[in-house]
Order: sequence, then C-alpha cells, then structure tokens
Amino acid sequence: MENDNELIASALDGSLQAWETLVRRYEGRIYNFCLRLTGNRDDALDLMQDVFLGVYRNLSRFRGESQFISWLFRIAHNKAVDLARRRRANPVKDQGLPDDPADWPDDHGVSIGPQALAQADESNASVHRLLQALSAEQRLILELKVFQSMTFDEIAMMQDISANTAKTRFYSALKKLRALMEGHHELSPDP
Amino acid sequence: MSCHQTPDIVAEHFDTRLSPSARQRVQQHLAACADCRAELALLAPAQEMLLSWQHEPAPDWERSHAQSQPLAAPAHRPPLPGRHARLSWKDAGRWVPLAASLVLSVAVLTQTRLDVSEQGWQLSFGGDASNVSWPQLDAYMAAQASLQQQQNQQMLESALQQFGDNTADTLVQLVDWFEQQRELDIQRMEAGFQQLLDRDYQTVNSVQQLASYVQFQGDLP
Repeated sequence: MENDNELIASALDGSLQAWETLVRRYEGRIYNFCLRLTGNRDDALDLMQDVFLGVYRNLSRFRGESQFISWLFRIAHNKAVDLARRRRANPVKDQGLPDDPADWPDDHGVSIGPQALAQADESNASVHRLLQALSAEQRLILELKVFQSMTFDEIAMMQDISANTAKTRFYSALKKLRALMEGHHELSPDP
Repeated sequence: MSCHQTPDIVAEHFDTRLSPSARQRVQQHLAACADCRAELALLAPAQEMLLSWQHEPAPDWERSHAQSQPLAAPAHRPPLPGRHARLSWKDAGRWVPLAASLVLSVAVLTQTRLDVSEQGWQLSFGGDASNVSWPQLDAYMAAQASLQQQQNQQMLESALQQFGDNTADTLVQLVDWFEQQRELDIQRMEAGFQQLLDRDYQTVNSVQQLASYVQFQGDLP
C-alpha cells in the first residue's frame, strides 16, 4: 500500500486514482468530525467536501514536514471555524439547538428527523443533541481532544492560544456537557 | 471547586497522550485533593458519553470533483526566470558593466599596478608603503582641510551678502510679531483672571446662601 506522500506526489502528477485513494483513506474520520461539529448529515457532507477541496487546492504546499493527517485536520479545523463564523453572522440558518434542553424540539434539524435518527445509532443521536447545545468553540475543543486525541500543545498551536487556555476551555466544555446531561436526564421520561 | 488546580488536573487526567511524569504528577495531586477527585468523578460520565459515539461511514460523494479545481502555487519558491541561464554575448549590455565594475573594484582593492617599459610590461599587486611618508600625508591632509575651510567661508559670505537685507527685514517683523503676541497674552490673562474672580464671587454667594439656609433649618423647632 502506498504511503500518503507517494499518493500526494501521484495526485499532483494528475493521478485520479491516487487522489481517490487518499480521500478514501481519511474521508471517514473527516466526515465524522464534520458530523459532530455541524450536527446534521447534509452540512457534514458539505463541510467534508469543502475540506477536501481545500486540501486538493493546497496539496502542492504540503511539505511533508508533518504527518498528512495533522495537516488535513488543520484545514478541517479552519473550515469548521469558518462555518461557525458564517453561522454566527447568519443566525437564521443556524440549526444549533437552544441551550435549555427543555426547548429542544423533537424533530430538530434537517437530517436528524425521525427517519435519520432511525438510521443513526441511539448513542450518536444523544451525542449529537448534547454537542449541538454547546458553543462552536466548546464543540471544537472537545472534538480535537476527545475524538482526535490531540495534545493540548497541538490544540494550542492550531487555535493560536496558550496550552493553559486550551485546558481551561476543555474543562469548561466538559462541565457544560455534564450539566446538559443532567438536565437532559431529568427531562427524559422514565422508562 | 475550591482547588485552583482543578481545571488543569481534570484536563490532564483526560489527556491520553500525557507524558508518564506528568501523569504521575496528576495522580499524586488526585491522591491528596478530594475536590479534584470529586470533580473528576462528576465529569467522567461526560467523557464516556462522548466516547460512545459510533463511527458512521461517509456517504458516497464525488471525490474526483476536487481535481477539476485549480491547484495553488507550490510553497517552495520557483526559480527566478533566467536565474540559471548561461551568459551570452546577446545579453552583454546587461552583464558587461557589472563585470567591469567588479574587475575595477578588485584592481583598486588589491592596488594593482601595470608598468609598461621598453622591456615589456609588468603587473604587480599591493602598494609600496615606502613611497608615501607620514609627514607628506599629514601635510596633504592639512592642505585639504585648509582648502575646505576657505571654500566654506566663501560660500557663507556670499550667502550672507545675498540674503542680508531680507534677513534684517524678517527680524524686524519677527520682533513686532512677538510684541503683539505679548500684548494679546496679557489681555487674555487679565480676562481669565476677571472670570475667575467672578466665579469666586458667585461661589461665595452660594455658600453664604447655603449657610443661611442651614442656620434657618437649625433654628426651626
């Protein structure tokens, strides 16, 4: 199996097969990253396409000094931040859930309707609901730490903050998530 | 939360890539701090809930779509045009002056000397220090300094002669202007002082009125 750098070199030479192999290798991780951040499949797919488009456009700038996956997630992170900014600037299209779980509609979201929820695992639906109640910043730091297993130094470098700030943000996000879980469970009907 | 280290300890506890020494430090702190242990126990379910996420496969999409997009310029700087081109007589106008300057500079720096006689020619490098003595050099420098001083003096004299009348007129105007400004300043100062006095008078009146009002209130049964 060809390594990432070989695939990149071939893709830059115009090999469609090399590019598709590279995309298939990482699209699952990127798609799930996007899914957790956006909260619905349509936006996740759009964001993933945007990420890979950005990757392809800048492929010739990848110097191979770091791992391709780190570089890929840096682009994904930047795209996710851009999306969060656009949503803040255009709140009409914001599909995030309200802070108070009592205000959550049953059929929230474009794709997380009853049909989509039936396709998804129940645990994913819970994670979706809770993550969407966090701010984009909190969601992102939990994503990078918990799902991508990045160190606080790596997160700090990526977000241009100090490692201590990254730790504090992570702690605050975890606390908020815990509080939401308690509120959510209290509101859930007993089985 | 009463331990100020709780955010750090909690964050580091959930850091799966923590170094062994840092991990040991966190464990030692947790063993001694009940607040941090309690906070960790409270937040652990949040982490577990996140990790219950089930990986979803990416849907089918147009992967090759990106290849229709233009590529960004590579990060490494491309070689400048003509940077490695060989010198040719066609471009002589560009490089001959530079080469000539370089040769002359080297000749001056190395004190190159070409002696031509009936017996042929001789090229030598390096000057003969005994040709010029220190007293001669001192005399030359003194003559140059004297010449420079004379030239400066002549320039100054001619400049003064040319602009002398204008300068005298300008000085008279300047003195007049200063006098006028001084008078204006005195007038402004007097007016300001008068305003200050008026305000003081009003303040004294107000205080007197206040005092009489207080006294009146005090006299009431």
